[in-house]
Amino acid sequence: MNNQIMNEMIIETKNLTKVYRRFVKKEGLRGSIEGLFKREYEQKEAVSGIDFNVREGEFIGLIGPNGAGKTTLIKMLTGIIAPTSGEISVMGYYPNNMKRGFKMQYAVVMGQKSQLFMELTVNDTLRLFKEIYEIPQEEYIRTRAFFTELFDVKELMEVQVRTLSLGERMKMEIIVALLHNPRVLFLDEPTIGLDAIAANQIRRFLKEVNQKKKTTIVLTSHYMEDIRTLCGRTVVINHGKKIYDGGTEEMFARYHDVERIYKEAEQDA
Amino acid sequence: MRKYAEIAKAYLKTQLVWRADIIFNMIFTVGRILFAYLLWGTIFEGREQVAGFTFHGMLSYYIINSFLTQLEMSSGISGELSARIRNGTFSKYLVIPVNVEGYFTAMEVGTVVFYLFFDFLAAVVWIFLFGIEFVFVKTFSIILCAGIMILLGLFFMVQLNFFLGILTFQYEEISTFLMIKDNLLALVTGSIIPLTLLPERVVELMRLLPFYYVTYLPSMLLTGNNRQEAVPGIVIMAVWCIVMQLVIHFYWNKYIRKYDGVGI
Repeated sequence: MNNQIMNEMIIETKNLTKVYRRFVKKEGLRGSIEGLFKREYEQKEAVSGIDFNVREGEFIGLIGPNGAGKTTLIKMLTGIIAPTSGEISVMGYYPNNMKRGFKMQYAVVMGQKSQLFMELTVNDTLRLFKEIYEIPQEEYIRTRAFFTELFDVKELMEVQVRTLSLGERMKMEIIVALLHNPRVLFLDEPTIGLDAIAANQIRRFLKEVNQKKKTTIVLTSHYMEDIRTLCGRTVVINHGKKIYDGGTEEMFARYHDVERIYKEAEQDA
Repeated sequence: MRKYAEIAKAYLKTQLVWRADIIFNMIFTVGRILFAYLLWGTIFEGREQVAGFTFHGMLSYYIINSFLTQLEMSSGISGELSARIRNGTFSKYLVIPVNVEGYFTAMEVGTVVFYLFFDFLAAVVWIFLFGIEFVFVKTFSIILCAGIMILLGLFFMVQLNFFLGILTFQYEEISTFLMIKDNLLALVTGSIIPLTLLPERVVELMRLLPFYYVTYLPSMLLTGNNRQEAVPGIVIMAVWCIVMQLVIHFYWNKYIRKYDGVGI
């Protein structure tokens, strides 16, 4: 039997839905004045009835065009936002309860939401995260050494973060996220804006982390190369709905390219 | 507790990066003392006392009060919270195992410790340069009471600004709230004029509010005035801190469900 099938389920969602309420503002000065007296709101269903399961140790890709609902799904899985309806369980927790025990076991890297202190060095941020996650000194030194070697960034640890390149900064974000050896790592567009070499490096490191540390990784990306290289399984989301959930190779064999995945998988679903 | 000490340390280190900021802050402290010297020098011309203060007593009050006012930098908290909630980057505090209010309090401690040192240095230098006969209370119990009151006052201001910041979850735009708070504070903390210059009824009313105890009463206590208010002041301030904490707890739990993390 396949190892992944034997592993326990670490993420489970059933009929998960998120509806945003947003203010509809009419254009022009008249519209703005009208808005003062009469507000109109519309409902936007960002995620619609998604069933989504991940087994421990899996490396799963989450793809879809802009506005498909990928990031909203990640935000619900990490507890940042509450679902409107449906069931959700991550490592046995209801994420939006934001329990300490839950937060201690996962990490999330979101492109624009840096955990690094721009004015300080990476070592300063790591020292802070050592205390936040209550990592024993020996384990901290061992883990830091493992990742600085793996990412080949030893000479950058004492440099002010704001002087690092985008690729270097993303490596550091991933090191900070992995310092406490999380069971689940959520990555939202980790290679966005990176050149081919830096993106390749990040992919190589993530693969190694998944294999060596057995970290479950949920990755969203617009780059098919990320998905093809890293993810054994891919979930495709469009208009808030799951339109494909299966093997990555099988998906590419069936639909060939990203445009066809989004169009044809939706028709097939 | 160690995690919050490390957060404070990180923000202290962040402050130390900017050398020009340190210099300009010291110049600003000096500027305030110089302004007070000229202003009160004119007011005291030909007079021994104004509202029970001698010239040097008034300057001492002003130096202590402006020192405490400069330490009170918690308005950055409401600004930071509001901006992050609006642009979606507030999520970074939600995904780590810390109490968000504790994080912001530690951040404030790191900032205050930095200014405590440099503003104190600037004030001492200028007391000597102007030859001010500095009036400072010598009773240990009063100094202790003033110290406790200062800590409670600074903590209350952190709580107030945290509360105003989380109103962004509900109202999205809180600049009017902040403007009202800033204007109110300028008057009721006695940072413009000592409150003894105001009508007694107004002062009576202010004694019920927390702002009276943030900088005004500690400054008065440290210059040897209002001793009888020391202990009641601590009790009132402690009650305000507890009330504010209950308010934050209630609204945090209510509003956090509204957060949609929309932004960049």
